Amino acid sequence: MEAASTKAGVLSHLSLLEVQARSRRTQPQQQSRVKELKAKVEALKVQKQQLEAEIETHQNLQKLRLSLDKQCADEEDVEMEEDSENSQLLRLMARHTQLKDLLHAHHLIGGYDIIKTRQGKGVCVSLATAYEGVYLDTYNLEIDLKPTVKIGRHNIPPFIPVNSLAEVNDMQTNMRAFLDALSQHLNAFAGRKQQLKLLREQHKSIEVMESNVLCSILVLMFKVPSAKTAVLCTLDYTDHSSCLPTRVHFECEDKQLPDSDQWKKNCSLLMETPVHTALTAMKKMGDIV
Amino acid sequence: MEEVQMLEAQIERLQAEVEALQRQQQDNQKDITFQFRGQIASLCGRGPVGEKERVMSSLKEEVEEMEEDLRRQTQMNGISLNGCNAKTLRSSESKVVQQLCLSGRCSELDFQVEFKLSEVKVSSFHSLVIFLFSLLIWDFSAFQADELVEESCDLLLFFRTLRTFSDRCDDRSKTFQHFQQKYPSVVSLPGGCRSEVMRLSVVFSCVLFVRWSIDVSREGGVSPNIELLTKIPDQDTSKMCKKRHSLVFHLKRGKNAIV
Repeated sequence: MEAASTKAGVLSHLSLLEVQARSRRTQPQQQSRVKELKAKVEALKVQKQQLEAEIETHQNLQKLRLSLDKQCADEEDVEMEEDSENSQLLRLMARHTQLKDLLHAHHLIGGYDIIKTRQGKGVCVSLATAYEGVYLDTYNLEIDLKPTVKIGRHNIPPFIPVNSLAEVNDMQTNMRAFLDALSQHLNAFAGRKQQLKLLREQHKSIEVMESNVLCSILVLMFKVPSAKTAVLCTLDYTDHSSCLPTRVHFECEDKQLPDSDQWKKNCSLLMETPVHTALTAMKKMGDIV
Repeated sequence: MEEVQMLEAQIERLQAEVEALQRQQQDNQKDITFQFRGQIASLCGRGPVGEKERVMSSLKEEVEEMEEDLRRQTQMNGISLNGCNAKTLRSSESKVVQQLCLSGRCSELDFQVEFKLSEVKVSSFHSLVIFLFSLLIWDFSAFQADELVEESCDLLLFFRTLRTFSDRCDDRSKTFQHFQQKYPSVVSLPGGCRSEVMRLSVVFSCVLFVRWSIDVSREGGVSPNIELLTKIPDQDTSKMCKKRHSLVFHLKRGKNAIV
């Protein structure tokens, strides 16, 4: 009887040893896999912390910028909080973004983007033009300040009277009045040019008989459905600082037509609204095709 | 085995969190109008030694240059901006749509405007368009500014006109003040020096009003208009006429000397 129980004991002991041996074989594989995964977890944790720190910094920066904006609006003095190195840097960054935005805004509102040149002996200004919200060409102008104030190089087209505007507006003593007048002329020119472009795009059925570089004269040919005749329309823009014509004249075989109520209204329309818009209205009313 | 499964689950969770944070960071970077990614990273300790000091000193220099630049622009443009808030509404590789709110002052006139801006950049084609312009705050009632700009979205025209209008208002204010100081017994400014009216009490209890209005046309043309309005008691009419002419002449001459 003792032999059997010893045998059972030995067998179970042997099978235990076998299990242990088997598990020892698979353990190293498992261990290295676990190590790999643990390392990955650590790396991800570090990445997450870094991103959280950056996002928090960004939020602090935005808060600082908001408080800077508020201080500027209320014209208060900048408070001095605890000046850790990080908060100083953050404050600088907030101020940097604020200044960049303000300078960009100056540019957008048609500012002259004045730059000093030749060690302060001259300046360069940019004159932006826009019409109906669309920014168009920008012109540049160099002005010498020393020894005398005079106009240097520029890319303004010759039919804009830069020198005479400088004289009339007394550029020597009032640079801004001169630049404002020049800007007005350039913008009016850009506006007239843009109107012509829009007219050509939107009203292909209307023939442009005559136009000039300064866009100060425009002759159009209208087809009038009711009268089966053509109307020649002349728009004179004698005021070069304006986008609207100073005179509108109709010529037609039917001499009565220009004096009719309807065409008198069309005349006012063309005098008071930009030409491409006026033509759209006239087409809607069926006066022209 | 259990440990492996646990770790794998943890990794999945962390990866999802990191992706969410990366998306948030991308959104943040859209709002930042400057390339401060490197600086923000260095602030958080990621970056070579000494990076922070370098970043600090180069930033300081740039900020000083920009402040000097802003002073120059403010002086040249005649407009002082004290706030600019830009919010990016939509942004793709070629097109950015932003909403901007600007506030500032032109001499004595405060304003606040808001507009949407669309910028498209495709190879060499670049377009910048302003739409939806609205005037939020302005205290220059004589200037029908909202008609002027809200239809045409002409930001440039608005600011040019504002400057000219402001210059004419300043001229008027200086002239009124000059006359009040020179002839304090005759001249009074019932609405203050920034108003349209100067009141003159001349002899024989008659009062004259100088109304100096500044009109702004739809096209942005600014035209000052000086009128002399009279309030005359009946019996003094004949004597008044003579005196009135000489007074008007004197006034006009005086104005030309100032303006």
